[in-house]
Parts: sequence; structure tokens; C-alpha cells
Amino acid sequence: MGNENIFDRLFETASRRIAQRSSRRSLLARLGTVLVGAAVLPTLPVDRSGRFRKAHAQGFAEQAQTADDTQCNYWRYCAMDGYLCSCCNGGVTSCPPGSEPSPTSWIGSCLNPDDGQVYLIAYRDCCGKGVCGQCPCLSTEGEMPVYRPQLSNDIDWCFGARSMVYHCTGAGIVGKA
Amino acid sequence: MAQRRGLLSAASGMVLAVLVPGQTVVAQQTIEALPEEARLEVVEEWGVNVLPEASPRWVYVLDVAFDNLIASRINIYDSDTGRFLGVVHSGFVPNLLLAPDKSELYVDETYYSRGTQGDRIDVLSIYDAKTLERTGEVILPEGRALLVSKLPAAALSPDGRFVLSYNMAPATSVSLVDIEARKYVGEIESPGCALVYPTGERSFSMLCPDGSLVDIAYDESGGAEVFQNEPFFDSETDPVFSHGAIDIAGGRGFFVSYDGVLYEIGIENGRTALADQWSILSAADAEEGWRPGGWQLLDYQPALRRVFVLMHKGPKWSHKWPGEEVWVLDPDRNERVARFALEEPAISLMLTRESEPVLLTLTDTGTLGVLDPATGEQKRRIEGTGLTPFLLHAYAE
Repeated sequence: MGNENIFDRLFETASRRIAQRSSRRSLLARLGTVLVGAAVLPTLPVDRSGRFRKAHAQGFAEQAQTADDTQCNYWRYCAMDGYLCSCCNGGVTSCPPGSEPSPTSWIGSCLNPDDGQVYLIAYRDCCGKGVCGQCPCLSTEGEMPVYRPQLSNDIDWCFGARSMVYHCTGAGIVGKA
Repeated sequence: MAQRRGLLSAASGMVLAVLVPGQTVVAQQTIEALPEEARLEVVEEWGVNVLPEASPRWVYVLDVAFDNLIASRINIYDSDTGRFLGVVHSGFVPNLLLAPDKSELYVDETYYSRGTQGDRIDVLSIYDAKTLERTGEVILPEGRALLVSKLPAAALSPDGRFVLSYNMAPATSVSLVDIEARKYVGEIESPGCALVYPTGERSFSMLCPDGSLVDIAYDESGGAEVFQNEPFFDSETDPVFSHGAIDIAGGRGFFVSYDGVLYEIGIENGRTALADQWSILSAADAEEGWRPGGWQLLDYQPALRRVFVLMHKGPKWSHKWPGEEVWVLDPDRNERVARFALEEPAISLMLTRESEPVLLTLTDTGTLGVLDPATGEQKRRIEGTGLTPFLLHAYAE
């Protein structure tokens, strides 16, 4: 899958960076090319749709709409996990007052039913406040255990934020798939 | 509260809080300054209750409190009576560990110095199992993985000497804590694998993205040797749930996959190898849409030599749906020996760690069921064990 390969490449880059400055280089060297989690890569988008993009998009797209971003079936939320920032006085690309956007994100590929195009969506958590609690949209379609972190929704993705306390999630377009 | 009321500390006898009807101000005065009639005439002794040694029938319910994640708690119940025994309050997405000698319990947890903000503090908190007093702590300087609480996110070595705390930053490692010395030892680097499954006194395994287990042997100073294995399941098409069960003494472990394949892992000298695999679904079961699902959805009880799994009917990707039934599997003969319909769908289950165990089930609204593992009969129902409790723990006999 294309996105997986992108992800793997990003992780390989991260692995090399870790190896370069790790005091346990010998261990990492022995492990060779095995996937190592990304260390401090604040702008690394993490692909949480992966190979299930198609299945997820197909299932989601049938009921997706483009009018109301406070509903779980808003088209950009095809790989959404969490509380909608749009319901918390934030927006699809803005955090609610007092919270901070995480510099890390995971990625989905969502079909816009208006133009029929598939867009890359970066899901960013807003952090540093307790759980917003409004509009939970927790999908398990394509969701994997935490040993496949890029596809797991059991992980707090506020990596790189000043506080990793999770508040809500938004969904910004970062390109065309 | 409208009545004249004082809470008197018999020990100090110095300060009294007075609540005046119709007023919101709480004044503090010395007892001597109060009028005679405001003083309590009888001073009763106040004590603090202490628990006896933990019974294997006590259940520790970990409530992640999803709508208020920074303030979780562990509620303790006697499953024989339904009685509430105590609580340990905990931080952000904690993990609970119970010392094998029943003397202590450990909470692997995260706080911020200003609640949701400020300095991050990752800490292993140490509690006395009888007084439930916080008796010590070990700071985890490299942090811990912030996952919605899962059993394999932290583990004790079988002798209780070391804590292994899974860490993800997002590079993965395991923080090693020496409980005896109350000391953080160091990080054990992981080749991108997750969670911790102890396999021996000084060994554990982790689940890897490619569907393999990596076996890691460590020593008391944090030195580690890493042994990789071939994948034993297909992590692309049919991943295993991370809530498996390991019986170190019996040398076997079990994982079930989203599509109902039960994998048995053989364990010898800290090394793992696939020992067996079979589908727990007959063609008819699969046709009806039965699947494993939930949170803490699988357990193996060595005294019974049975695997228990929460099952529901649902489509693909319904792997977190609560179980409508418990299926009882004989992993020696690879067959299902019983199925129990639950009164309420459950997200978690466990078998108590004793020779004549009970089956405990937990709903996502906090109702604890106590069942006979032979018949599935529900013997007791305990409501209100948490806001959003996810995990069940109990001391071994």
C-alpha cells in the first residue's frame, strides 16, 4: 500500500536518526532494519488509515456529508478517533480556547462527496486541557492494536505538545491522495 | 449539615471547623474560644481501618474515568460479598500491578504538576496493600506510554523484584524499575515492538508490528539481550488482540485474533515459539458472525486448563464491541467446551487466580458479574464499580 510505504520510509528515517545518537547503538545495529518508532519528529504525520483506507472510505463515504462538521459522518472524519473539536468551540482546523494543537498527527484519506476527490487529512489532537467530552466519534474500522501504532486509536497522540493531556481532535486537509 | 456540628480532632484538640446555618463562611477557631455548648461533650476515639491480607476473591477494578482522564481510580471489592473495600486514586491512564507476596500494589501513572498542564511526572507509586497508604514512589525519568490502560502496558517480574513499564515516545522501550531498591534502573530498547509480557524471572516478550514476538532477557543492571522470532500471525489481515494471557509456570501463552484464531505460544527459558493455532469458530459460528471482542477479553486459567473469551455477533472491525457470550475453550484438545450467555454484555473478564476460581465480568457501565466458570451461572452482580472501568485485577492465591 502506498501510504504504508510512505510511513515505512518515514520510520526508517527516524530509525536512522535514533541510531545515530543512541548510546545503545550496538543493539540497534544488531536489530538492523527493524522498524523503530519515530523519536522526536514533531511534524511527522502518522498514517492511521494504512491499507484499510479503501475499506474504511467505502464504508464511511456511503453516509458522508459536507455540510455539518459537528457530525461524525462529516466527510473529513473518515478516520476520526476522539471528540470533535468542532463541538468544543474549536473547528476542523482550530483548537478550542486554551488548548494547543499537537505537532504530531495521524493521516486518513477521505473522499469528498461533492467533488469526488480523495484528500489526505491530518488528524491533530488539541492538547493541554482535559477531555472536551462533546461529540465522541470513535471508529474502530481499520483500527489495530497498539503494536501497530500508526493504526491504533488507543494511543494519546499529543506527542510534542507541552502537555499530553488530550482535549479533542480536528481534521485538516494536507493534500490530495 | 444545617445542624451545629464540629469535627473534632481528638489528637490535637486545637482547631474546629464550624458550619453556621445560612452562612457560607467556614470559620476556624480554637476549641477554647468556642462557647461551652458548642463543644462536643463526648470525644470518641477515631481510627483508620486496615484491610486484612488480600483474598484472591478481591477484585481491583481500574476505572480510567474517560470523561476526566487525569483523575482515574482503582476501586476494590470483595467479589464474595459485593462489599466495597477501598479505593486508590490514580492519575492519567494508569496501570495497576499487584505484588506476588500481597504486601504492596503499584500504580504506574502520569501527572501534570498543574492538573492538565505544567511539568509532566511519570511515576510508579507504591501502596501498602493493607493500609492503602502511599508508601513510596519511583520516578520514571524517560516517561511511559500514554495508552488507554491495558494490562500488558506494565508488568512485574514473577518474583516481584522488577517492574517493566512500556514506554513510547513514540520510539518504544521498556523502563526497568528495581522495586527492592526503589530505584529506576534504565531503559531497555525495543526494536519497535510494544507492550510487555513476562516469560520468566528475567525475561519478557513484546508484540511487534510484523506479527512476531521479540524475546528479551535482562539483568539486574538493565543489560538486555534481544532475540527476534518469525511472525506467528498476519498483522496486516488478522491481528491478535493485545490482551492475551501468559502462564509462565505452565510455559504457555495465548492470543486470539480479530477473526477468532487462537494462537498458543510455548515458552521455554524465556524464549517463545508458536506451539499451536486453531480457529475457535466453526463454519456455522462464522456464518452467524461470531467474533472475539471487548477490552480485557481473554484469560487462561491454569488450574482449569481453560481459555475464556468474550464473544459477540458483529461485522468485521467490531473488535471492541462488548461480548454477549463467554466461550470456554480447551486448548489441549482445541475445542470449545462451553458457551455462556451473559446477562449484560461485558468488555472485560478474568478468572480469579486460585484452585477453585470464579469468573468475573465487567460491563462498560461498571457492573461487575461474578459467575461460576463451570456453568456460567451469575452468582452476584455488583453495580457502580466505576464511571468507565476497563480492567480487572486480583491477587493470586
